[in-house]
Amino acid sequence: MAIIEQRLGATDGWVKMPDGNLFYIMGFVDITGVPETAVVSYRGKARLIAPLVEAKVGDEVYLTLTNLGFPGRPDLDDSHTVHWHGFPNQIPLYDGVPEASVAVRVGRDFDYYYKPLDPGTYMYHCHFEPVEHIQMGMVGPLIARPRDYDPGVPALKTAYGSGTGTEFAREYFVFLTELDARAHEFMVLVQEYDWSEYRADYYLINGRAYPDTVKDNGDPSLPSQPFSARIKANTGDRVLLRFVNLGYQQHAIEIVGIPLHVAGVDAQRPVGLNGEDLSYGKNVLYVAPGQTYDVMFTAPAPGTYPLYNRNCHKNMNAGVAPGGMVSEVAVHPGTLPPQPGPNA
Amino acid sequence: MLRNVDLWTRDGFFSTPDGSSIYFWGLASREDGKAQLPGPLIVVQQGDTVRINLTNTLPEATSLLFPGQEGVTVDDGTGPRPVQPRFGPGGVLTSFTDYADYPDNPMANPTRVTYAFTPENPGTYLYWSGTNVHRQVLMGLHGCLIVRPADYDESVPARRTAYGEGTGTEFDREYVLVLAEVDPELNYNVEHGFPYRVRDYKPRYWTMNGRCAVDTMLPSGVGYLPTQPYGSMITAEPGEKVLFRYAGGGIENHPLHPHGNHTRIVGLDGRLLRNGATDLSYKRFTVLVGPGQTYDQIFIWTGLGFDPVTHPIPTVLPQLQNLAVGHAGNTLWSGSAYLGLKGDLPVGVADLNDMGEYYFMLHSHEEVQITNWGKYPGGLMTMVAVFPSGRLGERHGRIPYTESVPV
Repeated sequence: MAIIEQRLGATDGWVKMPDGNLFYIMGFVDITGVPETAVVSYRGKARLIAPLVEAKVGDEVYLTLTNLGFPGRPDLDDSHTVHWHGFPNQIPLYDGVPEASVAVRVGRDFDYYYKPLDPGTYMYHCHFEPVEHIQMGMVGPLIARPRDYDPGVPALKTAYGSGTGTEFAREYFVFLTELDARAHEFMVLVQEYDWSEYRADYYLINGRAYPDTVKDNGDPSLPSQPFSARIKANTGDRVLLRFVNLGYQQHAIEIVGIPLHVAGVDAQRPVGLNGEDLSYGKNVLYVAPGQTYDVMFTAPAPGTYPLYNRNCHKNMNAGVAPGGMVSEVAVHPGTLPPQPGPNA
Repeated sequence: MLRNVDLWTRDGFFSTPDGSSIYFWGLASREDGKAQLPGPLIVVQQGDTVRINLTNTLPEATSLLFPGQEGVTVDDGTGPRPVQPRFGPGGVLTSFTDYADYPDNPMANPTRVTYAFTPENPGTYLYWSGTNVHRQVLMGLHGCLIVRPADYDESVPARRTAYGEGTGTEFDREYVLVLAEVDPELNYNVEHGFPYRVRDYKPRYWTMNGRCAVDTMLPSGVGYLPTQPYGSMITAEPGEKVLFRYAGGGIENHPLHPHGNHTRIVGLDGRLLRNGATDLSYKRFTVLVGPGQTYDQIFIWTGLGFDPVTHPIPTVLPQLQNLAVGHAGNTLWSGSAYLGLKGDLPVGVADLNDMGEYYFMLHSHEEVQITNWGKYPGGLMTMVAVFPSGRLGERHGRIPYTESVPV
């Protein structure tokens, strides 16, 4: 079992929407292995969404959070935390709720420790003034792999362990959030926002709105939004989609022409007390804030299969279509090389 | 067994933690009692004959619906008959069920009616107004009905269950969380007789058992919340089975997420999740509670075995001055990583931790709903407090079932 050491910086930054508008965000940035003298150079470089945290059941994860402060809001000295959403039997010290344990001040570090017990798709986010910090972008994906996970052995490259029917060739997280333009504008203009006025203007997958969603990972035009939302597979591949919703609304995602099979919900296989298989099929996946779904499909004939939100008004950027929660599944005729990692 | 429940509709005011006092319509369990939000918790047993005597004092007709109950009858003084929808001139529906008229109606219909039914199934149910529902349900005329299984026996662990012996629904403690939301504009306009278009409905407050956080964490029956008698603080000991009964009393969805562990959902809308021998229960860390829905769930927190001697935490806790503790001026943290131990807290931070118990937040993940008119903290939020084994009296989290209307 491995020891995983990962270090996240909490800071602010800017993201770009396809209509050219820039929005101030708060977020995390990966500073694992960065020399101490260079850590400050990551101030203002928050990512939307935050870096992937990945571990196997039995691994020990030491996740260090460093509060780098907000260069864009030097008046604001907010603390931050990491909350591993859904971690079973957690103790408050590592749960990241500042009212019930501790938070990390500006310029300080804190080590969270996790030894995952159950595989599945989780999420993490800051829990300090969460209505603000989550909407501002302090959200990231989290994968707990089964103990016997081995990407080199097809029978052991699974979501929930060998024999669970969750073998996959490729995996993608589909991380759903929204962006309320006024909330972000008020934040950088040092204004109080009435959160009961919340109204989403942009609907994001993996931190991007369409058509940016289908650009590649690390597209140079989107330096703060490194994750593509384009799903690629070869015909016949088993594909695992890890849905996470950290917005403030329900979302209904459909892939045109590709029925989905729900193999996990909230990092649990749908299994009854006596081992009953309660997995089921869906055409449109309805996901609430704070939920995760592990969904599988077999890639059909080569072609492009659009992915969109059946809440049709969410396929827009600030009211203009097309945009928002639209992406695509690109199926190749066996020409794609093996996937080196999630969303790669 | 015959259970008589007397309810009076009344108006009143409820309080929010940010200082608002909001007009509402509620139900009182005594003739001289105050309206309460939500309505009185009604606890009966499977097979009982339940009689709900409703007396209306509001300025419009009102009624009660009992979703999940069959064969409901009504008696307005002329003898019981099956409940019927009511229609006005032109055959237009005026009420989903028989109603108690408002006082001084020139048509002189009775202001008191008795609904009666025999609950066939144990579980968690809601009741709510069936008249002018777009106004009355939102104004506060809703509440929770618990039906105990026929073999329920609080003193026998195997029979202290949600759905009966052998159904895997044993619990050590149980909590009801009725969820709703409030647009104070609606309440203000109803109070003053002004028109209100429900399409303009825009909630500013979200309530858990009629209270907004942080009042949710206050005890039940505190004198300064006279119309909001039910607290939502959940207490348990490690390894105990805690039954959460979520009930959606409002018109919105509320994705509730408990920290600390998943819940296993064992019942939906007062029906055990089981088909014959096939168990249909499932685990979730977020449950989307829709309007009118109920969810019976078992929550167990066992911990990870950390102990200062045998299994110390594998990280070094920074010194206090390098931690942010109690930014709101108080903290629920004990100052220690370990259950049952207390440590140092920063000077000037009020210590709300009793004996080193752990607190886990339970809240809506539609984070807007954990504000009071846009201000965090508030709304649909409470805590699950896990106390050291043997330190919590067994009466915590036990709803008296011999009283039809506790508190």
